[in-house]
Amino acid sequence: MQTLLSIIMFGSLFGVLTLSLNLQYARGGMINFGTVAYFAAGAYVYAIVTQEPPEGLDQYLLGLDAPWWAGFLAAGVASMAFAILTGWPTLRLRGEYLALTTFAFAEMLNSLLINERRIGNGTVGLSNVERPDPAALGLPDSYVYAGAAFLLMIATALAFRRLLASPYGRAIDAIRDDETAAQAIGKDISRLRFQVFVISAIPIGFAGALYAMITTLVSPELFSAEVTFLVWIALVLGGERTLVGAMLGTMALIGLQELIRAIPFESVRAAEIAAAGEDIVTGILFIIILRWQPFEALVRRKHAE
Amino acid sequence: MTRDLLVVDRLIKRFGGLKAVGGDTGLSFSVARGTFLGLIGPNGAGKSTTFNLISGVLKPDSGAVLLDGVDLAKARASEIASLGLGRTFQTPRAFPSLTVLDNVVVGAHNDGETIGSAIFGRWRAEERRLRDRAASVLARVGLADRVNDHVGNLSGGELRMLEVARQLVRDPKILLLDEPTAGVDPSLQAKLSNILVDLHAEGRTLIVVEHNLHFLLRIADSVVVLQNGQLLSQGTPGEIKADEKVITAYLGSDHAA
Amino acid sequence: MTLLAQYALTGVVTGCFLILATIGFSLTRQVEGFLNIAHAEMLGVSAFITWGLNAGAGWPFIPSAVVAIVVTAFLGLAIGRIVYDPMRRLGPAVLLITSVGVSYVIAGVMHAVIGTGIRSLDMPLATSYKLFGLRISNYQIAVVALAVVTGLSLALFMNRTRTGLAIRAMSSNPELAASRGIDVRQTSRATWLIGSGLAGVAGVMLALIATLSTDIAFNQILQILAVAILAGLGSLYSVIVAGLIVGLAMDMSVYFIPAGYRPLIAFAVVILALLIRPEGLSGKARS
Repeated sequence: MQTLLSIIMFGSLFGVLTLSLNLQYARGGMINFGTVAYFAAGAYVYAIVTQEPPEGLDQYLLGLDAPWWAGFLAAGVASMAFAILTGWPTLRLRGEYLALTTFAFAEMLNSLLINERRIGNGTVGLSNVERPDPAALGLPDSYVYAGAAFLLMIATALAFRRLLASPYGRAIDAIRDDETAAQAIGKDISRLRFQVFVISAIPIGFAGALYAMITTLVSPELFSAEVTFLVWIALVLGGERTLVGAMLGTMALIGLQELIRAIPFESVRAAEIAAAGEDIVTGILFIIILRWQPFEALVRRKHAE
Repeated sequence: MTRDLLVVDRLIKRFGGLKAVGGDTGLSFSVARGTFLGLIGPNGAGKSTTFNLISGVLKPDSGAVLLDGVDLAKARASEIASLGLGRTFQTPRAFPSLTVLDNVVVGAHNDGETIGSAIFGRWRAEERRLRDRAASVLARVGLADRVNDHVGNLSGGELRMLEVARQLVRDPKILLLDEPTAGVDPSLQAKLSNILVDLHAEGRTLIVVEHNLHFLLRIADSVVVLQNGQLLSQGTPGEIKADEKVITAYLGSDHAA
Repeated sequence: MTLLAQYALTGVVTGCFLILATIGFSLTRQVEGFLNIAHAEMLGVSAFITWGLNAGAGWPFIPSAVVAIVVTAFLGLAIGRIVYDPMRRLGPAVLLITSVGVSYVIAGVMHAVIGTGIRSLDMPLATSYKLFGLRISNYQIAVVALAVVTGLSLALFMNRTRTGLAIRAMSSNPELAASRGIDVRQTSRATWLIGSGLAGVAGVMLALIATLSTDIAFNQILQILAVAILAGLGSLYSVIVAGLIVGLAMDMSVYFIPAGYRPLIAFAVVILALLIRPEGLSGKARS
């Protein structure tokens, strides 16, 4: 039961990231290899806005002691602001250059969080992150947070679907199909791309805040490039064409991880091998799916009918 | 005094040292409002490059293009399109993930095409209006029964018509067509010819690049001949047919064939 | 001042390592047309084979290193043939993402076989020499020498041999190269061998100057990417300049700001460079 809850909770949280990546890559044609940075921005800003001012051994400078919803909203704004900051100079770069710069920005943020202790206590991180007490609802915490994560994912998917089903979404599709032809009908490609990039960062920030609430800890270690890769693998796993695929792909991947984690191991070495095995299986699955693209083939078959 | 709608002024473009357009002095010509200009010249004369320079797909090394008095030097291709310059491409470009109708609607100026309208759902009224307009434009180019089709099912000629429709729905000040008859079967060519004549009669300004001289000389009211990226001759179709330079450079070989 | 010069010297050594680590990556990028994220893992593979033969099986260092380089080269070729070749039609973005998957597999295998913890070679401790008041260890000298020798032989190979010229032709214009009768498949195989072999050499260097842990490869890819972007993903010669710039910037920054910012410096240089000159040092504009 606990495992199932974990799968729903983290699957939904990372599902939000996969959905955003889906919008950026499958619709906007942008390879963002720094997804974790927007997630981290949301989590840290949530923690900073809601925590109490520093005292004793704390090295961080700022704690606003604001209510959780203020922190949640601030997380979305922070992620958006970071997207504006990183997207504005880099979106004129195409393809692999964009992948590399977003990756670089994420690594820089990570290194800044480690080294600049005044932001969030450096490697130690911020612990005991404030969170609303769901006791009033009469349910255990984990149920409520799993539910909240699931709701956030569904809300994100619905908002994206609404966006994509509109004339705005059609313009985005046109740009992905043929940039030159889209320009010839007056579509400002860099402006639209920038907008998609920034919009899709907002739910990532919300997810970051929720992640901070769930773990009650934010530290640089939690926001390494592995998160970015995890989300990319989930995107590929679910087939990049559909929003539903993005969500299912993430659930499947997180499910695999949680199941392996739930197995009791006799020794540290056995656990280590299992973790390595998980990486190997994930990697091979990933390659196989990219190689044969079963989901793409399915979509094509549906089109042909 | 009426200003010329389009002025091409001493345009020069080189590719890796090779002079593609303009030679040493630059290419200059101007197009008055309401003109149907034919742009002709042998292969490699720089016709498509000239189109790309005017529409902002390429930027000239020197020289200027003025549309209705506005200098296009700093403008991006999308801005030039928004200023009222429509164009089609030598190889037709459709948006494969959109239906035929959406391929046209997406071309129209659309106040509902913003994030705000998408989120608040305030685009449906405008969308209905544009769909009607797009459907009537599609009917005009003879694609009325293909409205809901997938663009993958259109023939080469139909794709060209679709591209024309997508530009017409924008109501451009000037429309540039790059080889509209290439790969189009004769019956569709006749239809295209009628459409172009109609558009001209409505007072629209057209520039058409063509290989098919008979097609063009019959319906254009002014012709510019390019050779090696430079202006060889300019005049009415009658004058061009009689021009010795043009006959030797271009028509000669064509007539012999 | 002497301290700054000392950091600069260390920077040159780091730069030499980065050059070798990046050249193979850039070569693959040019000929195969995509960014191979798994390249860094090959450094790890080579470093750990060296370690396994040397510290584990008790071989002397040089034969261990040679075997490691050869095995790494052929492993790279095998991965290229089995994984990437059939996927080439899917385009550089998909190949780039695939290489992340390959990294996972290689890293997973290394974790399973070796486990966590820090290792080092079974070699005498480094001896330091004084050079104009600056200290340099014999292993650091070996790294610089290895970089120079490898760089020179690579330059000779690329300019003098048929295969080298074919690789250069492929990297500047693949279609033209194919139409001029260059055997694309064979050239591609040679590129995998050489590119991975260079990763092998860089891995041996890593084993010499650093303590090894299995996540070492991941830390290298960041710096390799930094050098590659700075060089412009285009020219091999600009990799030399870019490698030295990144190496010097990283190590000399330690003089001015806390050492933890070292990796950040690499990317700050790169982002600055990208903003000012998006086409990179080589100046080859790409569309």
